[in-house]
Amino acid sequence: MIQVSHLSKEYPGGVKALRDVSLEIHPGEVISVIGPSGCGKSTLVRCIEGLEAPTSGTVDTGDSRLGMVFQQFNVFPHLSVLDNVTLGPVKINRIPKAEAEKKGMDLLRLVGLAEKAQAMPDSLSGGQKQRVGIARCLSMNPDVLLFDEPTSALDQTMKTEVFGVINELAKQGMTMLIVTHELEFARKVSTRVVFMHDGEICEEGAPEEVFERPQKTLTRIFIRNRRSLLFQADSREYDLYKFNADIEWFCQRNHLGKKYFTLELITEELLSHFLPFTGPIHFRIFLNEEKKLAMEIEQENCSSPIVDSPDADEIALMILQGLCASIQEVQEGDSRFLHIVVNDVYDQD
Amino acid sequence: MEVKITEQGGTMTAAFIGRLDTPASLDVTREVQPLLDHADRTLVLDCKDLTYISSSGLRIFLTIRKAAAAKGGKVIVQDICDDIRQVFMMTGFLNLFEVRNG
Repeated sequence: MIQVSHLSKEYPGGVKALRDVSLEIHPGEVISVIGPSGCGKSTLVRCIEGLEAPTSGTVDTGDSRLGMVFQQFNVFPHLSVLDNVTLGPVKINRIPKAEAEKKGMDLLRLVGLAEKAQAMPDSLSGGQKQRVGIARCLSMNPDVLLFDEPTSALDQTMKTEVFGVINELAKQGMTMLIVTHELEFARKVSTRVVFMHDGEICEEGAPEEVFERPQKTLTRIFIRNRRSLLFQADSREYDLYKFNADIEWFCQRNHLGKKYFTLELITEELLSHFLPFTGPIHFRIFLNEEKKLAMEIEQENCSSPIVDSPDADEIALMILQGLCASIQEVQEGDSRFLHIVVNDVYDQD
Repeated sequence: MEVKITEQGGTMTAAFIGRLDTPASLDVTREVQPLLDHADRTLVLDCKDLTYISSSGLRIFLTIRKAAAAKGGKVIVQDICDDIRQVFMMTGFLNLFEVRNG
């Protein structure tokens, strides 16, 4: 077991990265640490690994051997993939080369890279390099693997490769602490989720508790905003291309496949044919509690019907009605709200 | 968005390349004028490389169809992708146009 007790870290200049953080890591646990940038989650993992000294508090790792996987792969560019994996065992643990290579090949098989054993790192994709990084860590027989944002330098396909390997290690019972921005991944792989805010552990619990029933307001806001796309149109000179790029990025991040087509079309029809631009318009796209894609649109300074208008464009209205499972209009103060649930009848994927 | 117009025999083909959205529709309305001028012929709207269409784009297709109906021509919509087919379906355009794939 690893015992982190009352850990604080203050950088010169008075920046407090950690404030009295206590955490236990039990064998077989997969703990994901989530939270906004600058919340102290990377500092925590670096203090546990011993890369940074805490200002106060202790980290007791007992007899556990730790291994750490970094965001920036950290593979040796002048060594082949297999040599990267055998270097530690041969040079540090004094294991005979043949034995280290046999185990190295087993580890490369585990991360799906046996075919690349003789390749040089430069010829590998980012996802493959990160998998070499994981195999290299495993070669030192760690009891606990620490990951510091292992996929944040990777595109979606490569992230999926690395998630697959981490998931496999979780199935094999490896104890892991993973600092990540990938909430869906954290939710799937973890036995426990720790939400950090401003250097403190704000909330922790089973993934379904933290993600579905967060107790703290800060956790709720963080999870809601991470799962939402927000954009605003102030006038008819709005930037549709920027909105579309944001929608595609949101769909990619949330594994929503080709849903961007539907979201872009609803957004365009609303902006071009329905919304009166009586004031700023706020869009929010998110996955609702039933995991359905939903949109909330606020038109400020408006009290007349938007979609229900008798002047509605007929073709645009047919498109909206086809793409939306429901559209509700609600007046709240000076704003008119549209609550839309996107139809999933047309899902291709 | 680009529209390439070609003519072969009595057929005039407009190939739509890219996204036919509201910002693109103004230019495209101008670019399809040759089809409206020759709406007594067979007009093929080639959508092989059309990746997106909104109501503003559909309205251009409708204008072409109306012109052809008035002058005795014919409109064929060719090679629409699944996403666009759904838009055609929900707006009734699938019944309004002769749609050919492949």
